[in-house]
Amino acid sequence: MENQIMIRAGMKRHKGSFIGIGILLFLTALSLTTVLMIALVGNGYIREEMERAGFGDLTAWASDVPDMEFLLESIREQEGVEGAEVQELVFSEYEANGMESDSEGQMIPWNSQGIGDSFGSEASFGDRYRFFQNNLSGYAKAPEEIREDEVFVSPSMKSMMDLEPGDTITFPIARGGRKLSLTVAGYYEDPFMGSSMIGMKGFLIAGKTYEQICSVIEETGMDALARDGSMIHIETESGMTASEINRELTENTPLSMYTEFIHSADTIAGFMAILQNAFCAIMAAFAVVLLGVAMAVMGHSISGLVEQEWKNFGILKTLGFTDRKLSGQLLVQYGGAMGVGIILGMLLAVPMAGMVSRMTVTTTGVLLPVRFPLLPCVGIFAILLLVPAGFCILRLRKIRKITPMAAIRGESDRVSVSGTTFFRNGLRAKGLTFHLALRQVLTGRRRYASACLVAALLVFFASLAGRMNGWLGADGKGMMDAFNPADLDLGVQVLGKLPAEEVEQMVLSYTNITDSYLLAMPSVSVNGTNYTANVITEPERFHISRGQTSREADQVVLTEALAADLGADVGDSVTIRGNKGSREFTVSGIYHCANDMGANLGMSREGYLSIGEDDSRLWCYHYFLEDVSQKQAITEALEQAYGGDVHVHENSWPGLFGIISAMHLMILVLYGMSAVFICIVTGMAGTKILDAERKDMGIYKSIGCSVRMLRLSFAFRFGLVAAAGAVIGTLAAMGFTVPVVSALMRLAGISNFASGNTPGSVLFPGGMVILLFFGFAWLLSGRIRKEDMNVLTAES
Amino acid sequence: MADTILQGEKITRVFQQGKAETKVLDGIDIKIFEKDFTVIMGPSGAGKSTLLYSLSGMDQISGGRVLYRDQEISGLSENRMARLRAEEFGFVFQQTHLVSNLTLLENVLVAGYVSKKDSAEKVKERAANLLRQMDVEEAKDRLPYQVSGGEAQRAAIARAMIGKPGLLFADEPTGALNQANTREVLGLLTDLNRKGQSILMVTHDLQAAARGNRILYLEDGKVCDELALKPYNEMEEKQRERDVSQWLSRLRW
Repeated sequence: MENQIMIRAGMKRHKGSFIGIGILLFLTALSLTTVLMIALVGNGYIREEMERAGFGDLTAWASDVPDMEFLLESIREQEGVEGAEVQELVFSEYEANGMESDSEGQMIPWNSQGIGDSFGSEASFGDRYRFFQNNLSGYAKAPEEIREDEVFVSPSMKSMMDLEPGDTITFPIARGGRKLSLTVAGYYEDPFMGSSMIGMKGFLIAGKTYEQICSVIEETGMDALARDGSMIHIETESGMTASEINRELTENTPLSMYTEFIHSADTIAGFMAILQNAFCAIMAAFAVVLLGVAMAVMGHSISGLVEQEWKNFGILKTLGFTDRKLSGQLLVQYGGAMGVGIILGMLLAVPMAGMVSRMTVTTTGVLLPVRFPLLPCVGIFAILLLVPAGFCILRLRKIRKITPMAAIRGESDRVSVSGTTFFRNGLRAKGLTFHLALRQVLTGRRRYASACLVAALLVFFASLAGRMNGWLGADGKGMMDAFNPADLDLGVQVLGKLPAEEVEQMVLSYTNITDSYLLAMPSVSVNGTNYTANVITEPERFHISRGQTSREADQVVLTEALAADLGADVGDSVTIRGNKGSREFTVSGIYHCANDMGANLGMSREGYLSIGEDDSRLWCYHYFLEDVSQKQAITEALEQAYGGDVHVHENSWPGLFGIISAMHLMILVLYGMSAVFICIVTGMAGTKILDAERKDMGIYKSIGCSVRMLRLSFAFRFGLVAAAGAVIGTLAAMGFTVPVVSALMRLAGISNFASGNTPGSVLFPGGMVILLFFGFAWLLSGRIRKEDMNVLTAES
Repeated sequence: MADTILQGEKITRVFQQGKAETKVLDGIDIKIFEKDFTVIMGPSGAGKSTLLYSLSGMDQISGGRVLYRDQEISGLSENRMARLRAEEFGFVFQQTHLVSNLTLLENVLVAGYVSKKDSAEKVKERAANLLRQMDVEEAKDRLPYQVSGGEAQRAAIARAMIGKPGLLFADEPTGALNQANTREVLGLLTDLNRKGQSILMVTHDLQAAARGNRILYLEDGKVCDELALKPYNEMEEKQRERDVSQWLSRLRW
């Protein structure tokens, strides 16, 4: 009974602190559970959907297959292959809302009976795709059929090309202006290529439209711009790796003759989930920082509470209360506040995950379902409760030090003011307000330690997120550099018989070309598996992370992903086959290029020409421009002058903008959460300080200090503490950003994170956190106005 | 007749606790004169300190008005009131109320800097002189908890005097001191008054009250009586204390 009375009284007396702790744990639990739900459920959902839709374990994109039936049979006969299905499609570039695609899209015929899925499939794949409501808030009933002038697109087309129902999308089918314009009828969920991270996009069209396109392709022959093709979904037996099956298929079937690229379900699912995984990793790291912040604040709160209740605890000890009992009561109070915060946070994570899912559908392309992963959530709950509770127990050991009489006599365990002489007599008439603040901070360091720690943690994390944002850049250059094997400003591929010099002259009419090189991206087979080779005239331009670039004709560089797939490393040999022959190459280094799901290789022009045929149309001219702002004008001029004979691309792709928006939104969320945390921390620490300094405030008022001066001095204290924390956080960020973010970026297949330290990117997070601490402290200090000077009276 | 430095007209102070109201000051009319050492006495709860803080603008009054050198101060804004305290008033409290993380010298300096009456250099010089005068020069670099109560109170008087105040308010300045320190502090206040410093002191200590030349008796929120004395003279100390004691006895104190 006495425990109940004490606990109830304690909670009532310190409700502000407990509410603050509860809110901090609420936000931590909310972030962590939301992230967990999206990461676990999201990844699982994409794999489930791929499986449900029958996409198999390996998918080959093929074209010009003369006898599909024969090819499928030969695949099915292979050991380890359980089945193979085919989806017919047409490869075509596309254009919408004034934007051109940077890679081919795939027009897939569909109706509710499942056309396009044939060749021995027992299942009907009419329900392969799910359709969205036009506002993307949920699913809609699948249409009976798609009309001939209609197309269904992935929601990521909204972020990529701002495509909405009713808009028109144009596919250039053949030269001579033979274009197909279709109206967007709605969105469908594509768990295969739906993410804005994937350039090749699927378009669901009517069967009749598909047939019409095929006849135009056949009719126009060499002038056809679109190509008919297919996706071959191969189901394998468990125990076989995608690489093993791939090799077997390449050796024993004619598949490699028709395959443009082939990817495992793991690779595709990984790429589909890149964005949510990368963002979830960042948010999870942030949630861990929040937990650290919550614990720092709790430590401060416990110290303050024990200090405040020192005398009462002494009295209670005279009444027979033991250390254990008093600690237990406080633990129950803190545990209760934490538990309520955590449970509410976890419960609210369900609608929050739903909201995030709806908000990100235009980037991820899938509407992630909202499911509560019970076991992981129980784990999260246990961690969030037990770690701070353990910390709480450690801090509550102070109660043991209290002896009844010492407490009653008012002897605290701490001297509230440092006795050191170091800081004395440093007050100056000029800037007195600031000097008083500095003195308060220096002599009362322990009171401000939690705010300093919180500032350091938040600045570190904000710097980290800011660096990522800076790396991404306003135009996504960082991301593009991660995808390109080498840097560039503008790329021009001459497709017709147009002389390259003529194109170059047009570029020069706008701005000087400071540098240039050639890049080709032919398909080659490495140890029997097809991959894209980035063939370059100047191999020293490759972004090398380990070893050396492929300067010699018998050297290649591999991405980390490809090296892992092949089980190869620097110094190993690989056999590469081109369209002319094959030979052994030595892996001279590991390089960065996130194209083709991060699995590709780089080689010199000489190296490639030893195994592949040369063709002028193979090469893309990559230019560095003196005046980069002319890129758009040059692109427009080239397209206007040469039309389909040139393909111009900048260091960008449409999906990038969705990613940049998502990143900016996340940064905003991080800063928002940081602001809430700073508000709570300032509120909790500041209230305790103001309570403890009521008399000091009265004294200062009595000697003529104005309320404004006292408020400013109080706000300066938090600004100073935040500044100290900001310095620590900024230095930590400078030292640890690259390794930490690199680890996060690797989750997204990007291994070349290198953040530049511009003064702005270094100073902004710290400046922001200092301002927030200062601002909240200023608001809180409004209490000083109400402080009654009667606190100084002899009668009080 | 000396000039009036501070005047209270019909001062009322009502404290509200929930729905209950307590009238502590009930329409008091009071005048404090230049260069006087005025003492307010009365039983506990009579409203002595409340009157002191009401007159000094440290506390809001519920009714009436306060004039300092014929200027009404009861309705001044927070900032103007702060300036008035910085430039014209000095305060000495029972509990010394030195800022705990500032040395004795810094406590004095801060008040001097805030008053802005002199340059920083002059403030430093004057602070050093005051601390010497108060006999706490040796302890000037110590923090309040590192000195005795008497030293702290003497430093508090130095702080109150640094801004050359027109009126020094003292609220039970010897209430927390032992006999030796009490005599020292009272001696300092007497010296200051002799040099022309106007003082308004609240006390219930007979010995302290006898230092004043005018004693007001407060009871039930009203000034009930007044005793005029000649300026303090050490030779007549016992006689003054007896006179005050007899006067108080008449008032059934």
